[in-house]
Amino acid sequence: MVVVLYMGLFAMSFDFVSGYTGYLSFGHAAFYGTGAYFVVLAANGQVPGIPGGTPFMITLVLGAVLAGLLALVIGSVSFRLTGVYFAMITLGFAQVIYELIRSWGYVSTNPTEGATVSGDALAIGVPYVDALSLDVGRLTGESVENLLGLGIDLSATVVSYYALGIVVVVCYFAMQRIVHSPFGRVMIAIRENEERARAVGYATYRFKLAAFAVSGFFGAIAGGIFAAYSRSVAPDGTFYFLVTADALITTIVGGFGTLAGPIYGTLFNQGLEDVLSTESGGIATLLREGLPASALEADLFGVSLELFVNTAVDGRAPLYLGIVFVLFVLFVPNGILGTLRDRLGGTVGKRLPDHLRRYLR
Amino acid sequence: MLLETEGLTKRFGGITAVDGVDFALETGELCSIIGPNGAGKTTFFNLLTGVLEPSDGRIRFDPPGEGDGERRALAGGGSGSTDSVLDITAASPDETALAGIHRSYQITNLFPTLSVLENVRVAAQASRGNDSWKLWRNVADFEDHYAEATRILERIGLAEEAETVTENLSHGEKRSLEIGVALAGDPDLLLLDEPTAGVSSEGVDDVVALIEDVAADHSVMLIEHNMEVVMDISDRIAVLHRGELIADGPPEDVRGDEAVQEAYLGGYGREGSEAAGADSEGDAADRDEDAAADGGRRASAGGESR
Repeated sequence: MVVVLYMGLFAMSFDFVSGYTGYLSFGHAAFYGTGAYFVVLAANGQVPGIPGGTPFMITLVLGAVLAGLLALVIGSVSFRLTGVYFAMITLGFAQVIYELIRSWGYVSTNPTEGATVSGDALAIGVPYVDALSLDVGRLTGESVENLLGLGIDLSATVVSYYALGIVVVVCYFAMQRIVHSPFGRVMIAIRENEERARAVGYATYRFKLAAFAVSGFFGAIAGGIFAAYSRSVAPDGTFYFLVTADALITTIVGGFGTLAGPIYGTLFNQGLEDVLSTESGGIATLLREGLPASALEADLFGVSLELFVNTAVDGRAPLYLGIVFVLFVLFVPNGILGTLRDRLGGTVGKRLPDHLRRYLR
Repeated sequence: MLLETEGLTKRFGGITAVDGVDFALETGELCSIIGPNGAGKTTFFNLLTGVLEPSDGRIRFDPPGEGDGERRALAGGGSGSTDSVLDITAASPDETALAGIHRSYQITNLFPTLSVLENVRVAAQASRGNDSWKLWRNVADFEDHYAEATRILERIGLAEEAETVTENLSHGEKRSLEIGVALAGDPDLLLLDEPTAGVSSEGVDDVVALIEDVAADHSVMLIEHNMEVVMDISDRIAVLHRGELIADGPPEDVRGDEAVQEAYLGGYGREGSEAAGADSEGDAADRDEDAAADGGRRASAGGESR
């Protein structure tokens, strides 16, 4: 479930620029990768000027600032184009960086495989204050016993989950704030009608560029916390264009142009993937163990049900996710949150209490 | 002189859409621009607002008084700003807007999924300096934007529709909102491009009343095909024909001008107003169809590129 956090945040940053200004940033993986690589390289002391032991929170922000600057560079060229051409040129930029990172010997001895954090675990919290920091990581994370004297024990993964969760929530509120600021309204105006936005006096180019930089910043934060958690980064998992595609898919499932939507989309996709996967508790295991032997051997168009489960269900999550995605695009074009808002006639937070009250009466 | 053009020319390939227009507008005037389809009227507007860059000639704009030091800085673009006159020849649409020239469009060009209030509010926000760059403040804190927007909605008669999603408005209401969005920028010069286009004959009176109301405290340039309206409300009429300014003067003079009769009016004033009125309405309908075939919004951006 930790994956929901960093992928969700990444999808949110993608939605921030794509869903609000209407410019599809197909090269968003470049920012995710920048954040991830920066954190790993900084932890290994490979970034000039940043000593090895610099707290993770600082390198995370520095990486994000770097990605924001990268976004300014990419954006300053790309925003001269619109529509599909904008999407293509950002994709082009990202692929160039991907190839570069894949063959950059400085990163590690085997750049195609990526780099790994060699030192201590990375901690989320207040820099330089040990008591207020928590190590995160799949294997290296801190576990907490007897939390605040409440008798609650948290395992390393759970601690990582909440630590990353805090970062994501902070980022969400930050982006939410920007979306509801006058600046955010200009972004929406650009999405709705860029020509008119210019005609009423907005230098749209600058607004788009700023939005892109902010988006790149948060995209890199997502990459950074991913790197801290997994402790290793590979070009294919960070800079590759399919990482952007993941964000695009979850954004569309969750609701384009709704900031929280991508989180729900990621949750939905990951949930479905977990249910359909082979690993513990997946639906294939459930069917194999739950059904009586006679049912498993039952004939189904010439093959036994067990064989069918093994070939068509077991580990075929992407297939079904693809189908679900197609169904979403066809029947729920506004995504989960977007449709919910349409039904409720406003944002969920504002409208849901009224609706619930109606049922309670 | 509020606005002055000098030999303003726009060429598209071999076609000259606007040809050496020398035009001047006094503060407070309501000047109508008329001419047959393809005469270059919308292109003229596009040049004034910076949507298109002139092939030749100059545009100077001299916005009156209040706090224009700041405006001037915002408008940038101008090179010859030694005195108070702005050279907006090469300015971009946002720069001309900040300088004080706002326009409405021939084909409705609003923010379709936003509320009526937000359409006007976001336009009002644009003219308030750095407010739009405040990333960290909630938009609800800026009460003056809302107050301004509400004031304008009352003026254009859409106060009750404030929360309606714009695309659900009737056509006539959208035409009024077009003017409202243009007003929100607190313009010194308002360019109205066929505000009555496609409005039913009963609706035209409302729009005309709105134009007269707005013209009372703004300088207005109006493109209009409805001759009744033009003759009725204009202080001055300028006639464009094949990109050239063939007449410019008070309505009575223009009505009697030989060249104008020939080019456009088709005998208006000689054979009585009834026939001409019907004629011009037919024109407007034709033009709407043309625009639709061109693909809606694009058409207004490209303007009359013929």
